[in-house]
Amino acid sequence: MQDSVVLMKVDDFLNWGRKNSLWPMTFGLACCAIEMMATGAAKYDLERFGCGAFMATPRRADLMIVAGTVTMKMAERIKTLYAQMPEPKYVISMGSCANKGGPYWQHGYHVLKGVDEIVPVDVYVPGCPPRPEALIEGLMTLQKKVANERLLRDKWVKHA
Amino acid sequence: MLNEIANFLSSQVSNSNAAAHEAEVGSGHVLVAPESLYACCKALKESDEFDMNVLEVVSGVDYSDRIEVNYMIASFTKGSELILKVKLPKESADAVPEVDSVVSIWKSANFLERECYDMNGVRFRNHPDPRRILTPDDWEGYPLRKDYKTQKEWHGMEIDPEHKVNSADHNFFKKVVEEMQGDEKKVAYSWKGEE
Repeated sequence: MQDSVVLMKVDDFLNWGRKNSLWPMTFGLACCAIEMMATGAAKYDLERFGCGAFMATPRRADLMIVAGTVTMKMAERIKTLYAQMPEPKYVISMGSCANKGGPYWQHGYHVLKGVDEIVPVDVYVPGCPPRPEALIEGLMTLQKKVANERLLRDKWVKHA
Repeated sequence: MLNEIANFLSSQVSNSNAAAHEAEVGSGHVLVAPESLYACCKALKESDEFDMNVLEVVSGVDYSDRIEVNYMIASFTKGSELILKVKLPKESADAVPEVDSVVSIWKSANFLERECYDMNGVRFRNHPDPRRILTPDDWEGYPLRKDYKTQKEWHGMEIDPEHKVNSADHNFFKKVVEEMQGDEKKVAYSWKGEE
C-alpha cells in the first residue's frame, strides 16, 4: 500500500485539500453569531467538515462568515478585515441582515443594506437567524464551489 | 411624593420653578427650569431625606418647538424613583439646545448624556467627553429628531441603494400614511399628532 501511486489532476488535489480545511475567522456581529457558535460547538460540530478551526486573526483565515447586522460603522472594519485575509478567500453572508439589511431595510439609517455592497459574497444563507443546519448547507455549497475552481488554469487571485 | 420633592426643590434652589405633574396613566414627573437643573440634581443627591444616589436614564423627546430631556433618578436606600424633566426651547429645526451636564454628580451620566447628544442633539455643558457614542464621529444629523433625513452616503457607502429598497412595501406604507392624513394622530412619526 505504501508503494502505490495515486493519479489525479493537480487542481483536484489542491481543491480537495482546500475545501476540507476552510478556516473561518472568529468574527460575529449579532444574534446570527450565536447560531454560528452553536454550529461550531459539539452538537453540530463544524469540525466534521474541516471548518471548525476558528482563527483569531484574518491573516490565517480562508473564510469570513458575516454573521449579523452590518452597521455603517462596522462596515469600515469589515473592509479592513477582508483586505487583511490572504487569497484565495471566501465570504459567507449569513442571515437576512447581512444579505439585504433584514428588518432595517427601510428606516435603518445605520445599517448597510447587504454586505455585498462592500465585499464580494460567495454564498448567501437566508434566515433570521438561520439554523445551524442552514449554515452547514451554506458551507457545503461553498465546498462544492471550491472543489470546482481551477486555480492553476484561471488565475491565482480570485478578486483581482 | 412628587409634591414633596417639588416643595423641597423650590425651597432649596432659587428660581427652580419646580412643579409636580401627576399623570393619569404611568409615572408623573417634576418639571424644573433648565438653568437650575444642576443645582436641583445636586440638592436631591445630597439631601438626607431623598438621597437620590442613582441616575438610571437620560432620554430626550423631540417636539416641534422644544426638546424635553428626562432624567430618571432613583434612591436605592429609600427605594424611590423620580422623573425629573426639563424643557429646552428650540429656535429652529436644526438648533442644538444646551443644558448643564450632571456628570460631576452621577458618573453614569457620562454615557447617557453622550447618547442623548448623539440621538437627539442636546449639548451638555461641561461634559468631560462630548463625543457621539453610537453613530460614527462624522455622522450628520440626530436620528431621533422627527425631521431627521438620512444622509445619502457615508465614507463612500450608499445608505439606501435604489436597487435594494423593497419598493412594494415602501409604497404600501406610504399609501397608508396618506390615507390617514385626515386623522393625524394616527400618523406615528409626525409632529401634527401632538397635543
